[in-house]
Amino acid sequence: MSQYTNIIVIADQIQGDLRPVTMELLGAASELAEKLGVKTHAIVMGSQISHIPEVLIHNGADEVYVVDQPELKEYSTLTYRRAAITVIESLPKPPHIILCGATTLGRDLAPRIAAYFETGLTADCTELDIGDYVHKGKADPNKTGTFNNCLYAIRPSFGESLKARILGPWKNPQMATARTGAMIPFKTDTTRTGKITPMTVKFEDSDFRLKVIETVREVSSDLDLLKAKVIVSGGFGLGGPEGFEVVRDLASVFSESAVGSSRKAVDSGWIPYSHQVGQTGKTVRPRLYIALGISGAIQHRVGMSNSAMILAVNKDESAPIFQFAHYGIVGDLFEIAPLLKEQFKQAVPA
Amino acid sequence: MSDGLRMAVLIKQVPDTSSATGVNPDGTVDRARAKKMINPFDKFALQKAIEVRNARGGEIFVISMGPPPAIAVLHEALEYGADKGYLLGDRRLAASDTLATAYALYKAVLYLKDIDIIFTGLQTTDGDTAQTGPQIAERMGVPQISYCETMEIEGKTVKATRIIDGGVQRLEVEMPVLITVANSAVKLEHKKFANVYKTKQALRDKDALADKIFTVDLDEVEADATRVGLVGSPTVVGKTWKIGEKGGSCKVFKGAAPKHEVELLVDEISKDERGVMEFVL
Repeated sequence: MSQYTNIIVIADQIQGDLRPVTMELLGAASELAEKLGVKTHAIVMGSQISHIPEVLIHNGADEVYVVDQPELKEYSTLTYRRAAITVIESLPKPPHIILCGATTLGRDLAPRIAAYFETGLTADCTELDIGDYVHKGKADPNKTGTFNNCLYAIRPSFGESLKARILGPWKNPQMATARTGAMIPFKTDTTRTGKITPMTVKFEDSDFRLKVIETVREVSSDLDLLKAKVIVSGGFGLGGPEGFEVVRDLASVFSESAVGSSRKAVDSGWIPYSHQVGQTGKTVRPRLYIALGISGAIQHRVGMSNSAMILAVNKDESAPIFQFAHYGIVGDLFEIAPLLKEQFKQAVPA
Repeated sequence: MSDGLRMAVLIKQVPDTSSATGVNPDGTVDRARAKKMINPFDKFALQKAIEVRNARGGEIFVISMGPPPAIAVLHEALEYGADKGYLLGDRRLAASDTLATAYALYKAVLYLKDIDIIFTGLQTTDGDTAQTGPQIAERMGVPQISYCETMEIEGKTVKATRIIDGGVQRLEVEMPVLITVANSAVKLEHKKFANVYKTKQALRDKDALADKIFTVDLDEVEADATRVGLVGSPTVVGKTWKIGEKGGSCKVFKGAAPKHEVELLVDEISKDERGVMEFVL
């Protein structure tokens, strides 16, 4: 048996649907677990979610703790916090690592869990790994030492072209959140088996201080950016909100496509924030990413550079996006985009 | 104005990475030289607080944790219309991670006593974690509304909507509460001339300023120094490295005849093993 305790993934489900980030975390967790010689566990919370544990097992979980209670029908900070903490505290020893999606749910919940356990949490990781660490702190001699098999939580550092490895080996659980699209999901195997452990949580009155009156799901005609196979994005080069017509038009030639945007276009009020790709928006990993009039600043790049294929259209040949795109075309996007649409159509046999 | 709300707005001074000053050619930031600004996300939080105060009455206390020069963001907050500014400044705070920062700011909020609403921005542009707000709420034992988009106040009840993945949630909560304000929540307004003038006047008058801007240290807010700074932070930055440039691999098409270039490009893409043509309708 490994000297380390297990890894826990907190599943992110909305009305019985697991978010893609959960599968990606299970993929990452399974790799970490193998290196440590431990198991991947998942916690899932909600109401009427009896079908979910099996899906989690098929996607890499060895054991699933399920809290299936009506109080958890919709996400609320304090009830989900109570449920997660109750499960974690019921374990004989603190887990080695806890992972959570950097979704609106995870970014709301994970910091509270970390503060409750007084432990470290690294936000928005793009890579996770296991390794050793030697701390030679002069200012904090109590922490000095050599630590084996710590969590390497790796994230891009603020608007700079840097990546940082964050460590917190002094206390378990070591926690991290990861952006959707940053990690490779576990290969689904419907023959996989695992243990399902139902848990019951006793709520306190104070857990209901935050009342969820209503949850409204957007009925959006735009396919979720996170699920799209092809994303056509527009940037400041569009010149105005009407520029997005060109973007939408090009997107319409692809199946499973969605419209994305740079931060500048969102900040200028040309398109809603939900379309924003980048450091302060969404991280995407489509098969094809077409960037129209996007310069490719680092803040945008960290959100889309994992796309399988990147095609950039920009009139400025020196734009940074040509440094990391796979294909580029220098020219006026208003001229190029319609030509691309026609040419893509022609290139496939009818 | 006995029923006026006591509101704390937490703001941070961050490097202005859009300015060339202090930004090295390789994109890294020289923090000592860099131009500084209020974290842009915090302006939305401040504006929301000002809107609430103007509608409902009350007082806005702005808190910032940082070295002495960070006092500039408090001056700016007053120019926008905040009532009082508190700089939590202490050498022992250096190198605090989010958990340690949240502890120190929680102590600063307690120091102000009976705060009804704590406003924060969604995240900072330098740390970019969005963790500090919820961690302060956890320490205070109060609920939070993160990604808050709209809010109405009736008595001590806050009715708010928050953005969630794929929709919005309508929530109701009794104060005290911590709110992280989405950048779509308010339209930023310019500084009012009267506030700018008042602040400039105060900056010239020691006594007037002493009534508006305060510097407090860990002892004054009764914070345990072993829970902040390097010693109190459970995480450290182990190593940083430059994000690898994939430069040179981009196949760029440029030429006088765009139609021809597009033909060549799409032909190339259709042969690419990454296989994207299956998505063309």
